[in-house]
Amino acid sequence: MIEMIIINGAVMGGVISILATGFSLVFGVAKILNLAYTAFYMVASFLLYIMIIMYKLPLSLSFVTSIIITAILAMASYKICLDRIKEHESAVLIITVALTILFQEILILFFSAINRTIPPLVGGSSEILGVAILNQQIFCVVVSIGIIAIIWLFLSKTKMGNAIMAVAEDREVANLMGINVSRMCMITVGISGVLAGLAAVVVAPLQMIQPYMWMYPLVSVLCAVILGGLGNIKGGIVGAYILGFTEACVVFLFPKFSFLRGAVSLSIMLIILLIRPEGLFGIIFEEERL
Amino acid sequence: MYLDVKNLNLFYDRAMVLDELSFHVNKGETVSIVGPNGAGKTSALRAIAGLVKWEQDILKGTVMGKITLTGSVLFKGEELLKLPAYKIAERKLILCPERGRPFRERTVLENLQAGAYMVKSKKVMQELLNAAYEIFPILKTRKNQVAGTLSGGERCMLAMARALQSQPELLLLDEPTVGLAPLVKEDLFACVKKIHAMGVTILLTEQDVSFAFELSERNYVLSRGKVVAEGTASQLISDDLVRKTYLGL
Repeated sequence: MIEMIIINGAVMGGVISILATGFSLVFGVAKILNLAYTAFYMVASFLLYIMIIMYKLPLSLSFVTSIIITAILAMASYKICLDRIKEHESAVLIITVALTILFQEILILFFSAINRTIPPLVGGSSEILGVAILNQQIFCVVVSIGIIAIIWLFLSKTKMGNAIMAVAEDREVANLMGINVSRMCMITVGISGVLAGLAAVVVAPLQMIQPYMWMYPLVSVLCAVILGGLGNIKGGIVGAYILGFTEACVVFLFPKFSFLRGAVSLSIMLIILLIRPEGLFGIIFEEERL
Repeated sequence: MYLDVKNLNLFYDRAMVLDELSFHVNKGETVSIVGPNGAGKTSALRAIAGLVKWEQDILKGTVMGKITLTGSVLFKGEELLKLPAYKIAERKLILCPERGRPFRERTVLENLQAGAYMVKSKKVMQELLNAAYEIFPILKTRKNQVAGTLSGGERCMLAMARALQSQPELLLLDEPTVGLAPLVKEDLFACVKKIHAMGVTILLTEQDVSFAFELSERNYVLSRGKVVAEGTASQLISDDLVRKTYLGL
């Protein structure tokens, strides 16, 4: 039982953490609560379906192309719809919801609302600690850990990463260092688009592809990043794994009530926020409490 | 003239902040702008460094966004007023903001590395870092400490050291002594002197008139957004009206 919880929790946490990292980056740097973020993940999944199933393109080419197109789409959406209104928080929320519904309706128009599947990048299954697990699920965990490592190295060891973190903390002061803040926001949105595309590559084969597939991940991602501390990448990742393991616990310890796994995760988020309103890793300096 | 500010006007909605402000700074000088709270000292430096234009751009369309900035700011003969703030920094005109505003969640070293964003060579970056540690030795001992946990004086030193990493030719210091104890002010005074001795031209704003007068070769007295007096410290102190009305000495 414990093995099943650990393995399935790691898989669920890995899936959410990829999306949570991109979401946290965009909120932290560009200060945009991008509710359309999981819609990019949905679009990337459909792009994979179009290329692999409809046009029979090779898997690797389809994966790379879908990631690139998703990143371009994310940057174009930011430039056209969000850049000029990003100081209007309520307008950002409305526009990002509108974008999500736009993508959803376009996909319904062309593909209808039926469930579709794509083949996994890594086929077959293995047994770990006596638990049967799809190789694609193992791949998902490995990729999520790899992404976390790469993002951490990029942000902490490179000049551009340091500049992005400077922008995340104080956009105005970052200007004074010669940092082009708009450019950094655009790069961050591009990275988040790549992460949404990557999430589709590793997760879409495990799920049904349909035009409402943005909803559940959005709730999970919002829950993870708020739990960890909005805009804090480390917090988002830890929050994702807490959710993953919580959901796995509910599913395996109380199988009859597995439909309540989302409700249990949200309750945990509420409890943590009541104790630490800034989230697990959110930082509030004393002068900000005044 | 190195920096030439002419007829600078700044309005936030209908509130006038700068009123036909004109002054200049010559290469190699240390020049002070002194004046009481609300005189427009910080706004003047923010306008020169491009932050008012930044505010205008990001707040466009909001209720806070009615900002009008007119006039001229020439740096080495080039008009700065239409340039974005990061382009002004690229011209080696660097503002060290009021209360330093270090990146509080980042370590001292990461703050300094962010300051060196425009420096391409790693060797030069290391040299700049060493030079900063020489002027502000306390920062070397605190290099792995998160900036938000530093004292007020250390934060101010970190902000100056961070500004030095951008290799400034003209350094704008906005009220470096605000909120600091007298002993810390003395340390800071010595540090500013060292920075000036490195060949950096300095324009600073101050409420602490004696700090400013001791450091500077020339001074401007600002009141309600315009220059009401200018001269050396001795000239200003010898003018009874200026001394009593604006300097409180």
